[in-house]
Parts: sequence; C-alpha cells; structure tokens
Amino acid sequence: MSPEDPLVRRAADAITVALTVNDRPARMIVESRTSLADALRDELGLTGTHVACEQGICGACTVEVDGEAVRACLLLAVQADGAEVRTVEGLAAPGEPLHPIQQAFTDQHALQCGFCTPGLLMTVHHLLTERHGVDEAEVRTVVSGHLCRCTGYQGIVDAVLQADRAWDRTPGDRAG
Amino acid sequence: MIVVRDADGNSSLGARLPRFEDGRLLRGRGRFIADDPPARCLHVAFVRSPHPHALIEDVDVTRAGSAPGVVSVLTAADRPHVPLVDAVAVPGLVKTPQPALAGERVRFVGEAVAMVLAESRARAEDAAELVEVRYAALAPVVDPEAALLLPPLDPALGSNEVYRGRRDTPGLEAAFAEADHVVSGTFSTGRLTAAPMEGRACAATFDPVTGLLTVRCSTQSPHLLQRKIATCLGMDLTAVRVLVDDVGGGFGQKIPASPEEIAVALAARAADRPVLWVEDRRENLVAAPHGKEQHVELALALDADGTFRALRCDVLGDAGAYSFNSASALIEAYLAAGLLPGAYRIPETGWRVRSVLTTKAPIAPYRGVGWTSGHTARELLIDRAARLLGRDPVDLRRQNLVRPGDLPYTTPTGMTYDSGSHLATLERAAKLVDAADVVAGPTADGRCRGFGISPYVEPSGWGSAGAAESSWSFASHDSVRVEMAASGAVTAVVGTPSQGQGHTTTLAQLVASVLACDPRRVRVVTGDTAGTPLSTAGTRASRVATVIGGALLQATERLAAKLALVAGHLLGVDPAEISFRDGRAVAASGSIGLAEIATAAVADPSVRAALPEPDLTATAFYDPPATYSNGCVAVVVEVDPGTGRVDVVDAAVVEDCGTVINPMVVDGQTLGAFAQGVGAALYEDAGYGADGSPRATSFADYLLPTARCLPRVALEHLESPAPHTRGGIKGMGESAMIATPGAVACAVAAAVAPLGVTVTHIPIRPDELVAPEE
Repeated sequence: MSPEDPLVRRAADAITVALTVNDRPARMIVESRTSLADALRDELGLTGTHVACEQGICGACTVEVDGEAVRACLLLAVQADGAEVRTVEGLAAPGEPLHPIQQAFTDQHALQCGFCTPGLLMTVHHLLTERHGVDEAEVRTVVSGHLCRCTGYQGIVDAVLQADRAWDRTPGDRAG
Repeated sequence: MIVVRDADGNSSLGARLPRFEDGRLLRGRGRFIADDPPARCLHVAFVRSPHPHALIEDVDVTRAGSAPGVVSVLTAADRPHVPLVDAVAVPGLVKTPQPALAGERVRFVGEAVAMVLAESRARAEDAAELVEVRYAALAPVVDPEAALLLPPLDPALGSNEVYRGRRDTPGLEAAFAEADHVVSGTFSTGRLTAAPMEGRACAATFDPVTGLLTVRCSTQSPHLLQRKIATCLGMDLTAVRVLVDDVGGGFGQKIPASPEEIAVALAARAADRPVLWVEDRRENLVAAPHGKEQHVELALALDADGTFRALRCDVLGDAGAYSFNSASALIEAYLAAGLLPGAYRIPETGWRVRSVLTTKAPIAPYRGVGWTSGHTARELLIDRAARLLGRDPVDLRRQNLVRPGDLPYTTPTGMTYDSGSHLATLERAAKLVDAADVVAGPTADGRCRGFGISPYVEPSGWGSAGAAESSWSFASHDSVRVEMAASGAVTAVVGTPSQGQGHTTTLAQLVASVLACDPRRVRVVTGDTAGTPLSTAGTRASRVATVIGGALLQATERLAAKLALVAGHLLGVDPAEISFRDGRAVAASGSIGLAEIATAAVADPSVRAALPEPDLTATAFYDPPATYSNGCVAVVVEVDPGTGRVDVVDAAVVEDCGTVINPMVVDGQTLGAFAQGVGAALYEDAGYGADGSPRATSFADYLLPTARCLPRVALEHLESPAPHTRGGIKGMGESAMIATPGAVACAVAAAVAPLGVTVTHIPIRPDELVAPEE
C-alpha cells in the first residue's frame, strides 16, 4: 500500500480539538472524519449522547453547541473546536436532583427504552431556554424532529408542557 | 394465606408509580452495548451482499486483510459451525439451515458474506470496501405467488413453499351454502420492520483458560441466545454466558438469535481479544429480520340480519430468505389464521395457510405477530359487509361480538377467551371518538372524514397452554428467585430482560404487594444467564407480566411464609397469625420490621436452633393457563381527496388487560403500540422493488410516525381480571399494534368509499386515495 493511499493518510490523521463541554475545558484527539457524536462518546466517555441513524434524521445524538441544538452525527468534531458544548450529562450532575425537564420526563412517562431520550432532552432544553409558554401544537412540531419508537410521543408532549411550567428560567438557574 | 395490605388497605398493585429505571436513563447513564465496549476490543464491519440472489464464486480478502488497523477478515470458510435452524415443531414445516456467513449463495440484499475485524469501526468499514466478492447473479424471487413456481432458493428443498396447511370446521361448507350473504376480499399487509432505536449489537469475550465465552447482547431472550450459541459453536450451555443490560427497544426483532451474533461469537472464540459489533441503521433496515408481509383472502358468510355464520381465510406468508430461527416461516401466516375469529362469535371457520421463501430479509416476530395482518383484513372485510348490507359498522360489530354471557367462549380455532369486556370496550371507544358526529360528512374544506373501529382480542401471557391454543410448539420454562438481604431489602431475580417496558418497576410492585412493603425496597435483577433463573422464551408475546409476574407472586408468598416463621419465633406467636403491613410483620401481640427479621435469620442463633433452614430465598416456576386481553381502538381520519394525505384527527383506545400493575406503564405500552399501528397503516414500508432491492435503507425512506402525525389519544382501562392466572394478570404489550392498523384502514376506507376508492392493503399510499379523473 503506497503512502498516497487514502487509508494510509487517514491513519496519520490526528487533530487536537479544544472545546468546553458541560462547563469544563476538554481536549480530544480525533481523525478529521470523526463526528462530534463519536468524539464525545469515544474520546470523552460521554456515552449519554446516542447514535441511532448517523444521517441526521432521528435526532438521538442532539447536543447543544454554542446554545444551538445540533445533530452531533452531522457535525465533525473538528468543527466544534473552541465551541461550548452541552450534553445530557450536563443537565444535572450526579447526586444533584434531576433537571426540571428530566423530572417532567419521568413524571409523564415520556421514555421507555431511553435510547432516544438524551437527544430529546437537549432539544427540549434548547426550546424552553428560548421559549416560555409553549402550546401543544408548537411542542409537537419541535418534537417531530426526533424519532421515538416506544412512547407514541404523548408522554413527551406532556412532559415538555410540564417542564415549561415547572422550570424557573431566571438567570443563574442551573444549566439555563 | 398471608394478608397483604398496607395500613390503608392498599397494595402497591395498581399504583401509577414513576419508573425506577428512569433516573439513570435521563442522566445519560444508560448502558447500551456501544456505551461500554470491552477493553481492547476489535470492531466488526460486515461485508454484505448487494444482490438479492446470487452464487458466491469467490471472496478475496487479500487487500482488506492488509489495510491499516485490520486484524483479520473472516469468511464462511474460516469458522465451521452448526447453522441456525428454527426449533418450531409444527408437522410439515420445512427447515432452512442458515449459516452465520453466507458461503455458497446469498439470498437477500444485506446478507453477510464476510466480517472484518479491526481496531475501530471506521477502519473496519474502510477495509470492508476492499473485500472483493465475485457473484454470479440469479433471478430474484420477489412475488410470493410467483415464488411457488420459481426455482427454490435452497436446491435441497425442492420448492420455495415451506409450509402448506388446511383446517376447516365440519360445518364450514354448509354454513357458506346456507348463508344469505357472502362477502369476500383479498387484503395484504406490507413489510414492516421493528426499527428499534438501538439496532442489534453484541460484544463477545472468550477466556481460553476457563473456556468461558461471555456475550453481552442487545437481546430479548438471553437464555435462547445462550442455547443457540452453544449449539452453533458446539459448546456446553454452561460455557456460554449471555449478559444483557439496557436494550434500546426490541418489539420482537431481538427475540431470535441473529446470524451476525453467531459470527461475532465464532470470531471471539478464535481471537485473543474481545469482539464488538454495533450495527448501523442501514444494516438494521436491510439485514435485521423484518415483520408482517402477508396476503389474506377472506370470505365471510352472514345471515340476512347480519349474524356472522362462517369465516374462511387463505393466508400466504412471505417468509423472506429463511424460515428464521426461533420463530420460523409460520410466525406470521399461521398465527394470523389462529386468531381468525378475533373478538366475534363465528361458529365455523376454515383456513389455508401457505408460507413461501423469497429473496428478502427473513421474517421474524414484530409486535402483534401474525395477528396484525389477519385482524386488519378481517376488520376491513366487516366494514365492507356493513356497507353492502347498509349497516352501521359499530352496530354490525355489536351484534356479533362475544357477549358477557358467552364467557368463557371457545373459538372454532381452539382459543378459549377466559374473560373480557368485548362489548363494553366497543361502546366506550365509539363514544370517546364520537362516532355519530363523524357520519355527518366532509369537513368545511372538503376533506373526507372517516370513522374506523377495531375491537380486538390479544392472546397474551404465553406459556405452554396459551401457545397450544394457537397450535404452536412453545415449551416455555420460566422460573424466578426472590431473596431478602439482612437489610430487609428484597432482590427479585428473573430471566426476562426489559427493552423499555419498565419491569424494574412493575415487577417490584408485584413483589411489594405481597410483602406490603415499599416497592423501592425491591430491586429487580435480570440479564445474566449465569445468575438468573431460566426463562427459555424470554421477553416476548406479552408474557412477562403474566408469566414472570405470576411466578414472582408465588415465590414472594413462599418468602413471606419463611418470614412469618422467623417473625413468629421472634414474637412468640403462631406464624399463622402473622400478617404484613407497612414493611412490618404484624401479630395481635406486637410487630417486627422486615430488616429485624432478616437480620435475625442471618445472625440470631436462636432462630437457627428453632428453624432448620432460616434461608430467606424462595424460587417458583410458573406456566400459566391461557388468557386473553381485549379492547377496542377507534379513530377518525381526514383524507384530502386532492393529495391523498391522511390525518388521524381523533383516537381512543379502551383496553382491558385484567389486573393492572401500573396504569402509567399500560398507557405507555398502548400509546407506543398505537403509534406503531398508525405507522403500519400509513407510513412504514420495508418493501422491495421488482429487482429485489430493498426500498428502505434509511430513516428517510422508512418513515416512522412523528409527534405531528399523531393525535392525542384518549385512553381508558376496564379491568376483567383473568380468572385463572395468578393475580388476574393478562398481557397487553401488543394490543394496540394488533388493532390500530385495522382501525385506521377502516377509517380511510370509509372516508374514500364515496369517491369509489377501495382500501385493500396497508400501508395505504396517498396516490391510491386520489379519486380517479372523471
């Protein structure tokens, strides 16, 4: 195999990415082709971000990047250099109570197998950070960017409506 | 008998208790297969056939084997093993052995031909592109009717037909001859796929010193997988240990052992490193087993007054490329025929069942196995009959449903409905969606409205008796263990993993109901064949609440009896006087906490002196009698006659699964199955083109329903406890998936009937609903 072979070039390809993840500085060494989702999982051990289609359709891998809800399977890790990233692990630290969105999800039975849940939580976190007083139609539109095979979405919709009422989004509130 | 109530006279049974498993999953601390790869593991990428049908002339792995990061590339020739074969013992069913990797011939697009083991999945995928396979293409077999005439996929079989059966009641022909009306039709259900959000995945580790092969797998049936791996690899059962942690959805697809799982086990046994396979979405859509695909011809004989006299079906099941292990090619067509009468009194039935092989992914269980297709066809036919006779579809059903006075009711196909609320659930569902209002006609903007109603029976809680009433061979064996630690905390150990059904909560509620303790004091443990009692069938067929729940009730009663012995000794009273309340053992003269009893059982020498065996462990085996859930789904749809777009605008599910353990979980199962049912009726299509290539290879093609496709569903529960199962529990996980496609299809059919359009299959495509040009 010659040095020009793309496979050989890829093997030599290692890029350092420096970013902030869940309010802490982080560094990871990735190939240029590595997605942010894979990098978060494999390099930082943040396996709460799940990968279910790798084509940007299902939304399971959604994280917040600089305050926007982003499909981490469609963003290259190198594109997140210098970014502020929040993952599901950043909603409530271990030992702390659940975030009001997480609490609403359990209260309203908005998850079953739990595989798609972390991505949904991040989209809802982004939605409710921006919007107060959402109605069911708006929630259904936003949630329709995610695929859940277990719940039929009714519990998810109810959870978002509950979280909208319950989450005190005054400045300084956790993860707000 | 031990009294089991808390201070208020309530038990934990029936409580809308939030799930114990949620906190972990919500914090991103689930443990799905890809979340915890074994140290130093090799990653697998399979080389898959692009052809629906071809002979494999040569596989050259030279280039792939020397690619960066690649450790080895395996083909069928490398790891001899016993192929997978279904274990279903129905006379006349032909077996089709399936190797872990295809050797001489590929039979569907996506069948695995070689596997690359590399340092990362990306490296393995890079190298998989370098494996050179030379194929000699053969004609695809796509149409199941044509399959009967085409050369067999397996030359050893002689035919693509792997089953043909016939069963008529003696009065069938006379009933048709005497009937005032005969209504008939041909209906079909397309290919669906379960599409769990976590695809199939497993990690295998072999210890050459102990000879132990450990396989962590995303499976519904760890003991079944253990048995399949042991058989295929020629190992003793005890040398194979299967572990299951979180499973990201199953819906039946993860019941069978996958050929890929056998390949991973084979590779790990030969490697000195663990092997990890996590399939991607394309693999899951094309190579994981599919569901449904049946063609059903039906004829219904009625009296002039609308009374059903006889129902006959001819069911053709498209089994795909193999009669798949653990379920077989009969799983669809045979079960559809068995539930032919559904919730109706139909004195005479007749069925013909055929199952054929085609060059498509094999068919395996998917929620509502078999029953969805048969049920949908029957309900469409009943609506057709109602239109022909000028009858209201609710009223025609009301006239023919099983009535309270008929129970227990035995169908001509051999099922005995033990209890139920067939009429009551119909009435409630019809009322909840306001059927009368829908008949009024089209909407202001010219969309056609239609009402559909679909009363169902779900054969549930399968043990050997339930299976026998479906004429199915299913020698299930289910045991459980309950033990109390010195702290007073209880551990319930079961062999049936959860794929999101919430067993950690609901099974704890059952145990706690016997001990009258807080369900949070009960930890449910599962997912390790080395440590959990045997469940040969695993989690499927809406059976865990009934079978494992019933076993836990029995085991916990035995544990309670042991606790009463120790408590009686400590309190100085007859154990028969002990009851349990608020986590305490109570007698007239005093009470004692569970923790004190448990500590004394371990550490108090006087207990040991008085009781020969102070062990606080109890086991139980349970094989319940057959039991049947019932209920009714009703929907209203609006169809845009210009575009064929269908919106489900109103819906209700009224279900009756006997004793409800946790109504919140029942709601969740119902709503999830309802959504899958809408998907089956309107959106999901894993079909094949005429050239044998799969049409759905991503979620852009395989359309799962989203939150915007679904209305708010009204839910109600009626409770007709099963008279013969422990606790009166019936299963319910599949109900809404059995009945919803029929409800939606009937509603659409009703909406477009005035346009001269008929509905004969699901999924219903928009272009089929657009009225033909005048």
